Amino acid sequence: MEAISHAGTVLGVLAKDGVVLAAEKKVTGKLLDLSEAKQGGYGGSGEKIFLLNSNVIGGVAGLTADGNSLINYARSAAQQHLLNYNEDIPVELLAQRLCDLKQGYTQYGGLRPFGVSLLYAGYDPHYQFQLYHSDPSGNYSGWKATCIGANNGTAQSLLKQEYKDDITVEDAIGLVVRTMSKTMDSTTLGSEKLEFAVLTLDPETKEPKAKIYRPVEVDALLVKHGLAKKDEDTEMKTA
Amino acid sequence: MSRSYDRALTVFSPDGHLFQVEYALEAVRKGTCAVGVRGADVVVLGVEKKSVLQLQDPRTVRKVVMLDDHVCLAFAGLTADGRVLIDKARVECQSHRLTVEDPVTVEYITRHIAGIQQRYTQSGGVRPFGISTLIVGFDPHDSQPRLYQTEPSGIYSAWKANAIGRSSKTVREFLEKNHKDDLTRDQAIKLTIKSLLEVVQTGAKNIEISVMESYGKVTNLDLPQIEAIVQEIEREKEAEAERKRSRLAATAAGQAAMATRAETPGGSGQ
Amino acid sequence: MECSFALTGKDYVLVAADTTSARSIIKMKIDEDKIKTLSPHLLMAYSGEPGDTVQFAEYIERNIRLYHIRNLYPLRPQSAAAWIRRSLAESLRSRHPYSVNLLVGGFDTADQSPHLYWIDYLGTMATVPYAAHGYGSYFASSLLDRYHNPDGTLEEGLATLRRAIDETSKRLIVAPGKYMVKVVDKDGIREIEL
Repeated sequence: MEAISHAGTVLGVLAKDGVVLAAEKKVTGKLLDLSEAKQGGYGGSGEKIFLLNSNVIGGVAGLTADGNSLINYARSAAQQHLLNYNEDIPVELLAQRLCDLKQGYTQYGGLRPFGVSLLYAGYDPHYQFQLYHSDPSGNYSGWKATCIGANNGTAQSLLKQEYKDDITVEDAIGLVVRTMSKTMDSTTLGSEKLEFAVLTLDPETKEPKAKIYRPVEVDALLVKHGLAKKDEDTEMKTA
Repeated sequence: MSRSYDRALTVFSPDGHLFQVEYALEAVRKGTCAVGVRGADVVVLGVEKKSVLQLQDPRTVRKVVMLDDHVCLAFAGLTADGRVLIDKARVECQSHRLTVEDPVTVEYITRHIAGIQQRYTQSGGVRPFGISTLIVGFDPHDSQPRLYQTEPSGIYSAWKANAIGRSSKTVREFLEKNHKDDLTRDQAIKLTIKSLLEVVQTGAKNIEISVMESYGKVTNLDLPQIEAIVQEIEREKEAEAERKRSRLAATAAGQAAMATRAETPGGSGQ
Repeated sequence: MECSFALTGKDYVLVAADTTSARSIIKMKIDEDKIKTLSPHLLMAYSGEPGDTVQFAEYIERNIRLYHIRNLYPLRPQSAAAWIRRSLAESLRSRHPYSVNLLVGGFDTADQSPHLYWIDYLGTMATVPYAAHGYGSYFASSLLDRYHNPDGTLEEGLATLRRAIDETSKRLIVAPGKYMVKVVDKDGIREIEL
């Protein structure tokens, strides 16, 4: 639990026509080679936000290594469900699968619990769009908007003030970006600090469509919302 | 001294305690309160429902669950442990139907759950389940309502009415004082709510009530229904207090009258 | 000999199965229900090796029920059918495979559509508008092909089903005497007198 309260913030907001996830990355060193991350495999830099299944994206806060192993487990569980039932795994069921694993680690001896909290943003035909949070003890709950990691208290109260029922995805994206910019330690936002993802329904196929933003797209998004990092030189000149 | 005993998983301390089991009971005592009351032909489960946070989805906060069509369970303690234990019980309910073609009896599934809980106090490398449960239901082809309780140690017992979780002692004492055999449906519900109000200060919105009236017939009361009963209870309490006050006033007046009479001289041959 | 038929209509699935339980050349029973209710909107007609059929059907029934109790909502017909097919396919590759043929009919309450699946003991599955198992299929397939209307009313569906059953009774040397007919639609499952 302690490990998580220091981890980079992960924030999720449920809208009536989609779910939005955002995560703060902790850049560990200046010489870290981010060129591969810049490209982004399926989109995104793959540090905190992952595609768990075609209908679920997950955000991780806590020990990165533990997170990776849980992500792997989640992806297998989702595929196992697909193999058994020929359908995308219902979001709550996926959250339950991971929680059962996490609970097991608290009860069986010789193993330490996972130091990871997760947010699951997903869609299934049973409950439409959903947002879940799970913690290391194996508890989970559904949310309209929530936040884990550092400064989650501030973010939570900000969300509480600004969240409205039947908010649209567009508004939710704005809400998430604004809240992130207020809660993050650094004064400036940029793609090297932020990961971003949105899950919506494809207007044509009516199938869930996950979009994990590429770094360029994150920057573009920030510019759109007027929160991008300002060029220092121009700032100097105006000053 | 005893520090070393809580490191290894569930071993006896020199004076015969199992610390892990006692810690598990501690987890139960911290959990939200749950009450079960048996009536003549009805059994009621009531739980204290923590206030759902504004942005939380109330659907995902569940404390009373169905194990099968005819058995209902409420728990107090660690929610994650509860989920895992409930899952095992649900599998057993269907497995029992598959092997013997009959639904489980309430006692059978209680014994099974208690058995699992016991195993986790004795097996190597595991900690006990941090939950107590109340299990209610009807046996197939039977009209007798049943209420059982299980504990982390693996003890199980049948009850007319009982409570688990936070302040369960207060509630149990209240139930002991007020429970009568052969309660009707409404009386049983009222007693359940009344006993929960002993620990739940915030009233109806933090109470959840499930009623089982016969084999497989379960209803959950909605908020207005619970509110109505809470108001009724409050009115009764007020009336009771009013009666007490007036009786007190009457006796006070009586005493005062006596006193004045005593003061008047020539009352007797003194 | 065992026969089962099923067909979909506009907003329902009809499933019919004979009610004869036989051993060798002897009829043991003529009121056996060979259509299991798996969930509020899911039916399964089973035929094949006696013993295997009931054992397998009960196993499926209990597992589908378990899923329902665990998740508070039942499996959708397409998912249930996929799982049932997989169970059969796994069984086929075990030491003692089940020899069971199935017709799985269900109504998907999520998008209000009827679904029918034809599954055989080899784990073959096909999504179909109408289906039959057993000797009856040799007579019924052509009739169902000719008269089936995917948007038909329940009366229309019943008429087509009656044709198939009547033809089987007329031509098949070992035709079963009685059938049980069940329908699943938005209101759930009920038995229908043919």
